[in-house]
Amino acid sequence: MSIKTSSAEGAGQDSPSTTAPLSAAARLRRVRWYQEPRWRRLGALLALAVTLRLMTGEEGTTQDLFLALREDFTGVGLWVWLAIAVAVWAVREFLADQTSSAVEGTKKVSAGPLERVRQVWSADKRVRMGVLTAVLALVVFGPLGVERYWQQVLVDQIAIFVLLAIGLNVVIGWAGLLDLGFIAFFAIGAYSAAYWTGSLPVQPPVALNNFLVLPIAVLTCLVAGVILGAPTLRLRGDYLAIVTLGFHEIVYLMAKNADGVTEGARGVKVDRFSIDLGFFSYEWKLDPMPYYWLLVVFIVLAIFLFLRLEHSKVGRAWTAIREDEVAAAATGVPTVRYKLMAFAIGASTSGVAGVAYASKVGYFNPENFAILLSILVLAYVIFGGMGSIPGVLFGAAFLVWLPEYLREWVDPKDRYMYLGALLVIMMIYRPQGVLPSRRRKRELRMAEAGVGGADATGPAEGRQP
Amino acid sequence: MTTETVKKEQGPAGGSAGAGELVLETSGVTLRFGGLTSLDNVELRMRRGEVLAVIGPNGAGKTSLFNSLTGAYVPQEGRIVFRPREGGEHSLLGAKPHVVSQWGLARTFQNIRLFGALTALENVKIAAETRLKSGPVSIMLGLPNARKAERASDRRAHEVLSYVGLLGKMNELAGSLSYGDQRRLEIARALATDPEVLLLDEPAAGTNPTEKLELEELIRRINTELGVSVLLIEHDMRLVMSVADRVMVLNFGKKIAEGSPSQVQRDPAVIEAYLGAVAEEDEAAVGQVVAEDVSGPAVRKAGTREDAGTGAGTGTGAEAARRDTEEHE
Repeated sequence: MSIKTSSAEGAGQDSPSTTAPLSAAARLRRVRWYQEPRWRRLGALLALAVTLRLMTGEEGTTQDLFLALREDFTGVGLWVWLAIAVAVWAVREFLADQTSSAVEGTKKVSAGPLERVRQVWSADKRVRMGVLTAVLALVVFGPLGVERYWQQVLVDQIAIFVLLAIGLNVVIGWAGLLDLGFIAFFAIGAYSAAYWTGSLPVQPPVALNNFLVLPIAVLTCLVAGVILGAPTLRLRGDYLAIVTLGFHEIVYLMAKNADGVTEGARGVKVDRFSIDLGFFSYEWKLDPMPYYWLLVVFIVLAIFLFLRLEHSKVGRAWTAIREDEVAAAATGVPTVRYKLMAFAIGASTSGVAGVAYASKVGYFNPENFAILLSILVLAYVIFGGMGSIPGVLFGAAFLVWLPEYLREWVDPKDRYMYLGALLVIMMIYRPQGVLPSRRRKRELRMAEAGVGGADATGPAEGRQP
Repeated sequence: MTTETVKKEQGPAGGSAGAGELVLETSGVTLRFGGLTSLDNVELRMRRGEVLAVIGPNGAGKTSLFNSLTGAYVPQEGRIVFRPREGGEHSLLGAKPHVVSQWGLARTFQNIRLFGALTALENVKIAAETRLKSGPVSIMLGLPNARKAERASDRRAHEVLSYVGLLGKMNELAGSLSYGDQRRLEIARALATDPEVLLLDEPAAGTNPTEKLELEELIRRINTELGVSVLLIEHDMRLVMSVADRVMVLNFGKKIAEGSPSQVQRDPAVIEAYLGAVAEEDEAAVGQVVAEDVSGPAVRKAGTREDAGTGAGTGTGAEAARRDTEEHE
C-alpha cells in the first residue's frame, strides 16, 4: 500500500518521464481493475492452494531435501489444486452475483434464500413445531442406523464439542468476551468427576454417583469462572484473551504436574454413569448410544435455557456491553456483573461437558485438555456463526465430523490442513459464519459501512484515571 | 409516563420558594490528565427542577465535567454530591457509572452512542430494565417474576418512546435512524432509567432547524411535565437562551461566570472568552455577536471535531483543540 501511494506521489510531482522507472508491479498496482478486492481474494486462494499442495503432498527425506518441493511443483497435483482454487473463486465472485441478482430481479425483497426461510420460519408456529419435532426425532433415532465407529465419534466428539460450543457461544457470541482458555473449565469438570467419584489419589469426603457430581461440577466451574473473571474482566479484547490463555496453561500444567493429586500424565480412570434407585437401576456400558441420548438431553436442556436468556434482559444487556461498554454502563447496566455472568454460565456448561466426557471415556489424561481444543471450539463457534444457536450447533457438528470423514479419503495426518483451508475460505467469503445471528450480522454490516462498530473494529474506550 | 408525572416543584428561573434545594453540588472539582488541567476548582450548584446550561468554548472542560459527574472520570480533588428526592446524599466522586445511573443521573453523549445493531425499542428496554429485578436463573426457568419484568420493561419502553415521539420507529435499527431521531432516542434511553437529573451533552449538534425546535420543546416538556432537572451542554445559543433558567460558563476548566442567560450574555469575562478582547461597545451588539459566534460552530460540529478555532482569532484555538480532543479522546 505504501509503495503505491509513494509512486503515485512521485508521478504527480514530476514530469511524465519519471514515471518510466516505475517497476511493472508498481504500474500494475495503479491499474483500476487490479485494485478491485476480488483479485486480492484470488491471490489469497491461489496461495492457499499452493500451501495445501506442499503440505499434503510428498514428504521430504533426509537424503533429498528438495524432493517434496520438486515432486509437488512438477506433478499434476499442483494444477488440480490451483484449478480448485480458481473454481471456488470464480463461483463465489461471478456466479454468486448472478444468482443473487436474479433473485432480486424476481422478488423485490433483498433477502437471500436464508432470509426467506427465516420469514416462513417465524411466520408460522406449526411449521416451527413440525420442523423441530422432525429434527429432534432424527437426532434421537437417526444414529441407531449408523456404524458403531460413527456412533463413537458422535458421542465422544460431536456431542461433547457441541455442548462446549454452546457454552462458549454465551461467552463469545453474546457477551463478546474472547475466551481462549475455555477448555480449562472442561478439564475442571472432568477432574471434578474424577475426584468426587473417588478416582483420584486424594479421596473425597463421600464418593458420589456421577450424576450427583454434575451439580457440584457446575458449581465448581461457576466459582472458577468467577475467580478468573473477577480480576480480569476489566480488561478488554486482546488482553482478556491472553489472560484466559494463561489460565488454561495453569490448569493444564497443574493437572499434568501435580502427580499426587491428579495422577499427572498417567491419567485417571473414572467410573461410567450409572443409576441405582433401588427399584430401578441402569448402568451405562460400552454401547455409545445411551451416552448419546444422555448428552442430547443435556444439549437440548442447555439450548432451551440459553435461548430464553438471549431474548431477555440479560441477552440485551450482553449485546449492549458488546457494542458500547461505556454507553451500557452510563445507561445503568452493571457491566462487570453481566460479563461475570456470561463467563460463569459458559464455564458451567463446559463443566457439564467435562463430567459427561470423563464418565463416557472412562480414562483421560491432561493431553485431552490441550490448548488446541480451546482454539478448535472457538473455530467451531465462529464458523457456525457467533451468537446463533443453530449456527453453533451446525458449526461444531460439521467441523468435528469433517476430519473424521476425511480420514477415509486423504492422508490422516493432513486432515486438519483441509479444516484450516476451509476456515480460510470461510473467513474470506462469509466472515459472519454459516448461519449468523441477526444481531451479529447487522453489527458486521454496520462496521463495514462505518457506522457504530462490531467489537472487532470498534474503538475501545477505557475508564480514565 | 403520565402516571409517573411529578409536579414540578418550582417555576423556571428559580424564582419561587424552595429554590434553594440543591440536587447536585460540586465544590473544588479538579481533574488533571498528566500536566493538563481539564477542570480547575469547579463549583456547580444545581437546584431541583431547573434547567442549567453549561457553555464555553471548545475544550473548556464541559464534557469532562459531565464525565466527572457520571463516574466516567474520577477527578483528583473535590467533592461531588447528589441529593435524591427521597433524601440522603450520594457522593458521585469515583462512583461506578452504572451506580450513578441507578441513583438517578442519566446522560446522553456528544458523539451519539446508541446500540446501533439493536432496534430503538431494545435500546430503550435495556435502560428500563436496569431498574427491574430479575436474575438469570428466573429468566432461564421462565418464572413468573421474569415474565412480569419483561412485560413491565416493554410497557415502559413504549411509554418513553411515545413520549419522545419515536413510537412509530420502534422496530427500526438505532443505527439506521436519522441523526435527529438518534439524538431523541438517546434522550429516550436516558429517560427510561427514571432519572432525577438528565445530563444532555450537545443534544442539538448536527440537527436541522425543525429538529432543533422539536428538541427545545422536548427538553422543556421533560423539565416541566416530568420534573426532571436538566443539565445541558450546548453550543446553540438560541436554544440555550430559550430553554435555560441559568447558565454557567466554563473556560479552560474554570468557571468564569454564572447567572441568568441575559446576565451571562453581558458578562465581560464571557465576551472575552469567546472573542478574546474586551472592547467598550454597545453591550447588546456584543451579546448578539456572542450568540452568533457560539451558534456557528455548533452547526459545523456535526462533521469533524477540528472546529475549535471558533473564528474569534484568540490565538488559543490550537490549545483549545488539543484540550478538546483530549477531552473526548
